[in-house]
Amino acid sequence: MNIITIDNVCKNYKSKKALDNVSLSIKQGELFGLLGVNGAGKTTLIKILCGLTRKTSGTIRINNFDVDKEIDKIKEIIDISPQETSVANNLTVKENLEFFANIYNNNDANTINEIVDVFNLNEVLNQRAKTLSGGYKRRLSIAIALISKPKILFLDEPTLGLDVFARRELWNIIKKLQKNITIILTSHYLEEIENLCDRVAILSNGKLLKIGTIEEIKQLNNTQNFEDSFIKLVEANNE
Amino acid sequence: MNKVVNFYKRNLKEVLRDPLIYIFCLGFPIAMFFLFYIINKFSNGNTPTFEVLSLLPGIIVFSYSFVMLTLSIMVSKDKQTFFLKRLYSSPMKSYDFILGYSLVGLFIGVLQTLICIITGLIISLISSVDFVSISNILLLIIAQFPMLITNIFLGILFGTIFSDKSAPGICSVFISLAGILGGCWMPIETMGSFETFCRFLPFYPSVYIGRIITNSTNALGIAYSFDNIASFGLITISLFMIASIFLAIFAFNKNMVSDK
Ligand SMILES: Nc1ncnc2c1ncn2[C@@H]1O[C@H](COP(=O)(O)OP(=O)(O)OP(=O)(O)O)[C@@H](O)[C@H]1O
Ligand SMILES: [Mg+2]
Repeated sequence: MNIITIDNVCKNYKSKKALDNVSLSIKQGELFGLLGVNGAGKTTLIKILCGLTRKTSGTIRINNFDVDKEIDKIKEIIDISPQETSVANNLTVKENLEFFANIYNNNDANTINEIVDVFNLNEVLNQRAKTLSGGYKRRLSIAIALISKPKILFLDEPTLGLDVFARRELWNIIKKLQKNITIILTSHYLEEIENLCDRVAILSNGKLLKIGTIEEIKQLNNTQNFEDSFIKLVEANNE
Repeated sequence: MNKVVNFYKRNLKEVLRDPLIYIFCLGFPIAMFFLFYIINKFSNGNTPTFEVLSLLPGIIVFSYSFVMLTLSIMVSKDKQTFFLKRLYSSPMKSYDFILGYSLVGLFIGVLQTLICIITGLIISLISSVDFVSISNILLLIIAQFPMLITNIFLGILFGTIFSDKSAPGICSVFISLAGILGGCWMPIETMGSFETFCRFLPFYPSVYIGRIITNSTNALGIAYSFDNIASFGLITISLFMIASIFLAIFAFNKNMVSDK
């Protein structure tokens, strides 16, 4: 079953075409990767799906709700860890988690404790968010996105700034989560996409170049290497 | 309502953990009272504007502009750190945000009012002047309330439309205006057409009405009374209050779905 259906979506910022007639659908429970060079339109697409920006044209349905008419219902079942880590800086880690949990009326100690354990936030629990290191801040930012127990989770470059260990840990967390929820993930680390995603969509200059499983993408250019294949695809499009 | 309370609590923590509030919102009004008390004392007590009963409404109105400053800093910072963007994708509605911010402004404003009144009382005791009666104090608080509301919503408005770099600058212009055009420490009533001009802004009328309530006398030695200036002032004050509320709500709603 498709949980997200995107049809002919365009987004223009003044003169810039950030999304150009993009159509794709994402299945329930899928771990879906959005791939593309800087400025390809990944964040724009995620923002539109979360109701943070309005599309210029096209239709989008999420869990059978229309993005234009039923965004309030959609907001109940999604959460996002934005590309920019965003937390309440003067609150402690714990207060941040509680604050966001309260928005979703989800403030039971168990959920919070679980998430604190999963993200190894115990040591910094009572530290103000603004004093956290970049990596810990990002962990908190992702932890916050999970506190609402979303049905659909958007992770915009979740592992940016994480050390190797934290990244691997996060991969494991994401893999575990994936059993219950649909995840849309962007990343510039191709091995990450390769490792995690069931299917990927490759965007370039706002256009959808290709959509398919990792294997399908690899075989496209007979490269057997995901990164090479991605580069060839994007280069062919730029010519 | 849960969401409003939740957001209010977060905002309050954010504000109370910032030393700025203690300096500007609480320290400043107290310092002004004592400064003018000393000036008045050394000028042999013949500056009616600096009498404690006259100062009280002026300093209250002036101090409310720091509520505006505090809110504009908080809103613009929340915008700048993408905190608001993130919350926009949550089920919080625009009124949850606006109420959550304004309640904090209300909290600071009420606290300032109390501090001003207590400081005024102390100074009146030191200089053995009869202080305002309890009922008039209540009346004073009510009379200055529209000015507090105006400042709260102007703060939200400026925080929404300006960046965290420029919002404090814009607000300091307003703070200066509140100080100069409010007649807090300047005998505006002796200034002819400047006085007429000041009637069209909310600062001077608010102070004026406050001084009627505290039974003070103006620079010419005439007791303030409910005259044309006051009734015209009520209209000005109401218009500014309504305009600031509408503009803030409009700007905030617009910001929630903007491309920036
Ligand atoms: N608010 C905006 N106003 C104008 N143009 C914008 C705005 N936001 C994004 N753009 C433009 O839209 C295009 C797509 O941007 P987007 O942020 O979606 O890219 P991205 O794929 O997420 O890139 P990155 O990998 O660098 O995060 C870019 O050319 C960008 O400059
Ligand atoms: Mg991006």
